[in-house]
Amino acid sequence: MAISLEYVVKETSGNLWRNRLMSLAAILTISVSLALAGASLLLKQGVSTATSQWKGGVQLLIFMQPNATSSQTKAVSNQLNSLPEIKSYFYMDQSRSYQEFKQLMANSPDLLKSVTESQIPPSFRVVLKNPNDAPSVGSLFQQQIGVKDVNFNRGAINTMLHVTSIVQFVIVALAAVLLVSASVLILNVIRVAIFSRRREVAVMKLVGATNWFIRIPFMLEGMVQGLVGAIVAAAAVIGIQSLFEYVVSHFQVTVLSNFLVSSHDVFMTELFVVFMGIIVGTAGSAFAVRRYLEV
Amino acid sequence: MIKVDRVCKRYKEDEYALIDCSLEIDRGEFVFVVGASGSGKSTLLRLLLREERPDSGQVWVAGKELASMPGWKVPFFRRNIGAIFQDFRLLPNKTVFDNVAFALEVIGKSKRHISTQVPQMLELVGLHDKQDRLPDELSGGEQQRVAIARAFINRPLILLADEPTGNLDPENSWSVMGLLERINRTGTTVLMATHDVGIVDSMRRRVIELDHGQIKRDQTRGVYGLGQQTS
Repeated sequence: MAISLEYVVKETSGNLWRNRLMSLAAILTISVSLALAGASLLLKQGVSTATSQWKGGVQLLIFMQPNATSSQTKAVSNQLNSLPEIKSYFYMDQSRSYQEFKQLMANSPDLLKSVTESQIPPSFRVVLKNPNDAPSVGSLFQQQIGVKDVNFNRGAINTMLHVTSIVQFVIVALAAVLLVSASVLILNVIRVAIFSRRREVAVMKLVGATNWFIRIPFMLEGMVQGLVGAIVAAAAVIGIQSLFEYVVSHFQVTVLSNFLVSSHDVFMTELFVVFMGIIVGTAGSAFAVRRYLEV
Repeated sequence: MIKVDRVCKRYKEDEYALIDCSLEIDRGEFVFVVGASGSGKSTLLRLLLREERPDSGQVWVAGKELASMPGWKVPFFRRNIGAIFQDFRLLPNKTVFDNVAFALEVIGKSKRHISTQVPQMLELVGLHDKQDRLPDELSGGEQQRVAIARAFINRPLILLADEPTGNLDPENSWSVMGLLERINRTGTTVLMATHDVGIVDSMRRRVIELDHGQIKRDQTRGVYGLGQQTS
């Protein structure tokens, strides 16, 4: 026995319309929670992009001139070897640095095109025994021939990582609570739908409609609510992202430009949001159907 | 067609709805089940529809054993059984036509099948000129005839009727009984639980009397009861 598409569409949309106010509440809750979850994911991506050079406890960056000779580079590494304050270091050569640059600037194709590999500075990434030595060790290399720049804003990076992880935790916790309440709201909407259709359900059972035939419209109702909520949330995430990009480019807030995420990241986030919406909607209605629809 | 074998059913501890009931009904029989309220009539019908399972014993309907039937098979089993009730159980927001069509729609029958079957069935119950009415625009007797049309549209082997005339005046009751008799003459087994003394006494069919969950009497060509008063 095939379930006709027409029947399912008619039943599902009919149910949604009958409970439109409750459906709206469920949809909005899903939207808000998923928008928060999505925004928090993007924030995480942004922070990880902005701090990628500092991963692995790196506290000191020594950038060489792009055209530094191998003897100049050798001199720096020799000196690093001899310093007792240094715990470890590694050398990012030009091609690896270029790869990293390409990743960081994935959102700015114009910039990518205008910069070639030979313009990229290779760098030494240094881990110190004591992070507080960064300024003193850094200053040793500041004036060295072949060195372009020395960077040791460890404190700022750490603070930023710390703050964003707290913010992220709060957002994710909030989103989780909202998602649970959205799920419960959907459960309730479906319960009401089942109750208001109890005569139909009774007749269906009596004349031998299969369990899935009875269940599917209700399940689908919850799924549609989840999906619609997720689509609204996805639109909101794109909105937030473009607003951020606009602020960065329009007001030249270069500090924030490091936080720009690639369109791939945005796409993956959207995918996650839509997926979660469908899961939450279906889970809520599945539970209601299981609990309240004795077939 | 129907065989109930040593069935016990209780809803609460020490409160039996049926105690050790056995009965057999052949194809094409017309059987009244009588007894006071709470005697187990409704429980018997619910067991035959597999809305309940017996606590012990076996229930055979249309060649299937219901006590051990897995849940997913029940819908397919019910397509061979028609059932009507005292309260008609029509859908108030659907027309007469749609009420009957609903029974075919939800078991996945085609539009074409529906549009030929439903008018035929409404013709049979004499309501073809009222197919666009809503149930509450009809008399009780007419509503029950719509319910019969819905129950019979799949040409079931068995028709179960739970006090089908309970809400009807005598005139409408007789029109419904006439219809049930005609359906019975097509070879359909009819099992009817009832309180209606007049109908049972004048139809002179097989009568099974239940009393406190036990079969007290099983008579071919019986009457309702001897000097028994019922509401």
